[in-house]
Amino acid sequence: MSENTHYDVVIVGSGIAGAIVAYQLGKEGKKVLILEAGQKVPANRNHYLDTFFKANAKTPESPYPPTTQNPDASTSDNPLGLPDPATENAPRYTVLQVQPWQNARQCYFEYTPNDRKLAPDSPEAKFAFASSYERIGGGTTWHWLGTSLRLFPQDFELKSRYGQGVDWPGGRDFYQDLVPYYEKATNEIGVAGDKASLDRLYKQFEVAPDGHYGAEYDYPMPGIEETLVDNEYVEPVSSLSVDGNPLYVTPTPQGRNSRPGERRQCAGNTNCIPICPIQAKYDATVTLARALQTGNVEIRYQHVVSNIRLDEETDEVIGLDYLRYEDDETKTRAPESGAVTAERYVLAAHAIETPKLLLMSNKNKKFPNGVANSSDQVGRNLMDHIMYLAWGLAKDPVYPYRGPLSTAGIESLRDGGFRKSRSAYRIEIGNEGWQWAADDPFTTLADFVFGQNNSQLNGDSVNEHGQPLRWDHSLPAGSALFGESLVNTLNGIYTRQLRLGYLIEQLPDPDNRVELSTTETDHLDLPRPKVTYRIREDYVRNAFVSAKQVSSKIFKAIGALEYTKAPPPPQFDTEASKQTPTTFQYQGQNFTFYGAGHIVGTYRMGDRKEDSVLNRRQQSWDHPNLYMVGSGVFPTVATGNPTLTIAALAFQAADNILEDFSTHPKR
Amino acid sequence: MSNEMSEEMKRFIGLSAVLTGFSKSILAPGIDPVDIKSDYLPFFRKKLAEEFKDSDLFDTLLSTFSDLSAKGLTDTQIGQQLLNNDNGDFVTACRKLIFMWYSGAWPTIISARDGQPESTVSTLISAKSYTQGLVWQVMQSHPMGSSNYRYGYWAKVPPELSAYTGHDNQTQGAKQ
Repeated sequence: MSENTHYDVVIVGSGIAGAIVAYQLGKEGKKVLILEAGQKVPANRNHYLDTFFKANAKTPESPYPPTTQNPDASTSDNPLGLPDPATENAPRYTVLQVQPWQNARQCYFEYTPNDRKLAPDSPEAKFAFASSYERIGGGTTWHWLGTSLRLFPQDFELKSRYGQGVDWPGGRDFYQDLVPYYEKATNEIGVAGDKASLDRLYKQFEVAPDGHYGAEYDYPMPGIEETLVDNEYVEPVSSLSVDGNPLYVTPTPQGRNSRPGERRQCAGNTNCIPICPIQAKYDATVTLARALQTGNVEIRYQHVVSNIRLDEETDEVIGLDYLRYEDDETKTRAPESGAVTAERYVLAAHAIETPKLLLMSNKNKKFPNGVANSSDQVGRNLMDHIMYLAWGLAKDPVYPYRGPLSTAGIESLRDGGFRKSRSAYRIEIGNEGWQWAADDPFTTLADFVFGQNNSQLNGDSVNEHGQPLRWDHSLPAGSALFGESLVNTLNGIYTRQLRLGYLIEQLPDPDNRVELSTTETDHLDLPRPKVTYRIREDYVRNAFVSAKQVSSKIFKAIGALEYTKAPPPPQFDTEASKQTPTTFQYQGQNFTFYGAGHIVGTYRMGDRKEDSVLNRRQQSWDHPNLYMVGSGVFPTVATGNPTLTIAALAFQAADNILEDFSTHPKR
Repeated sequence: MSNEMSEEMKRFIGLSAVLTGFSKSILAPGIDPVDIKSDYLPFFRKKLAEEFKDSDLFDTLLSTFSDLSAKGLTDTQIGQQLLNNDNGDFVTACRKLIFMWYSGAWPTIISARDGQPESTVSTLISAKSYTQGLVWQVMQSHPMGSSNYRYGYWAKVPPELSAYTGHDNQTQGAKQ
């Protein structure tokens, strides 16, 4: 088969950012090639769905290749049967790898252990990164939640307003420039949203003094119906305030169909993560198909880009080397190597694999520390929304485990004067009961079938407010039930379960970073990411203290009994394999943090080439024909889920690339 | 396919109904294209033989159940007598049967150790068994990832619990 090797643009990665750029360029007649490391978009999602149904641990990655766990391979050292990343062609980090984070035979990332003398509350404690991503056609939007919030103008000027982190280039102007692209992104995703509710929010935060939030600002679909769980909060929280801000519930704008359209109407499978079984939720395969239908876009799967070649004179990118692996379970065939060239290049491989590729490309004489890395910022400032979870039982049934996973949140704490001293957050209202918080329904089930107490409902547990937590005080601790009493007990509990999640804004820390492992490789012999991740700042830790207090306040206001369980203290004074992956201690309290799946910051934009990888056009300072898109460009993680902003920035980058073509058709 | 159940299956379903609190008409509907019971019975028999090294335990369970039900006892009385059996393996087998029907998975009990309390891990039997778990019914919902409801159902109170369990004597959302 003869394949083209020269294109107008080559894009690395077929997730939402890469697919949008490809679609926009293809529409304008540019010849585009996408190189995707992972497997192709399947003809239908049945196989992924079946893999999900069979998976013991229904983690966000469980439906997707390569397989996240193989119970038949379970051993005492590897109880979950995790595959060895060294045997995989396109491995990725999964949440099942968080617990064995210090074991490179089970964890794709290399981590170094903490010093055993570290105090439990030391800000120098290193942790496992808590969020994951996919390497498949369509990328990580396969398992995104669908939340489609804009960031606020204040998010873009954290440094100049509050003296924390950094500003986005241009600060508030950056937001204004992004507004028309937010509209495009909202339309591309097909967001269902309630304009009146968002207007209230935008008014609170003075998003636009004139009350105009964009020329075409509205939502292509009406808002998704709120759940009975959401309604439980609406009235009671509206009498509360926190740090001077009022609390109120805002229905979430969501990338799922509230009406039948090109995709199906949401049927409330309560499974947006890991997989929407009916594609009512937008994912990037939608945009990828639109891109391919332009007739100008090609995609090659199972092509792992391994090196970026530069012209020694001009510093421009002159080609990409790749390794192509076969769909071969036994992995007997060696990968084929090849190269492609283009006028312009776009990296869209998300915030771990993109910096890894830049750092791997270290054979160019003038850039021994990697492509686009004269600032030494590549791989640094890794961030996530680190999450605090709180859970409880409502006084009356609210029937969770129904509807989309989340349909509303409290957005009114996303900005305020408190941002000088602690991180801001949004509060996500969960519709999935205690599934995330306590691995329910199975934990509570086992408790009342076998007489255990891991849910705290079936023993002598007491919460931090001194309230006894046993569900039925007429039953002894450790009751093992059957028949009607089991039915009534489980029904009473499950139908009352509540969960709140706080998406806390992490600050950019240059030492939180992705580097290349010098010892670990994947099956293609490419180096694996070495990750260093801390939660150093009191500023961020203060937000956990706030979140904990606010949860208790909210649960009290709605008459719920709180079941949030503080973890045991972090352990560093032990061998590496036993070191705590996701617990920190602060002000005498122990906190478990969770990942939001928002991997951000590792090739950031900035105003100055000395401390950023990209200019505000998402163009490399070092190599003018190289662009990068995706959440790695974010200077801060801000206060909204990132996907809508990723999409808006991808539209903006596509315009910038087209502008370059009109001024310099050939490099 | 005949809708007529074997005597063994009838006893297995009778035992399962008493222990789970779900009616026989839910566990083994008259028209049963999914037919999870025909997966569970041989699986359960095999597991008992393997785990308890007792190839008679399955038959003992069914015959004990038959004897008790012949006495005209209520479901609660039958269940109490089954779970008060002197044989610890017998009781554990009953409890694992409950867990299997509710979760579609086979449980392993992890004893308390290193300051960790006793807990349970489980292995799914099949994709089908996941969707057939009674937990989704007892919460008046659907398996996560497999809803037969329509848009907006989540804004309304679900049908009565009895519509899910097949029994009309339960108190929906009971709180002591």
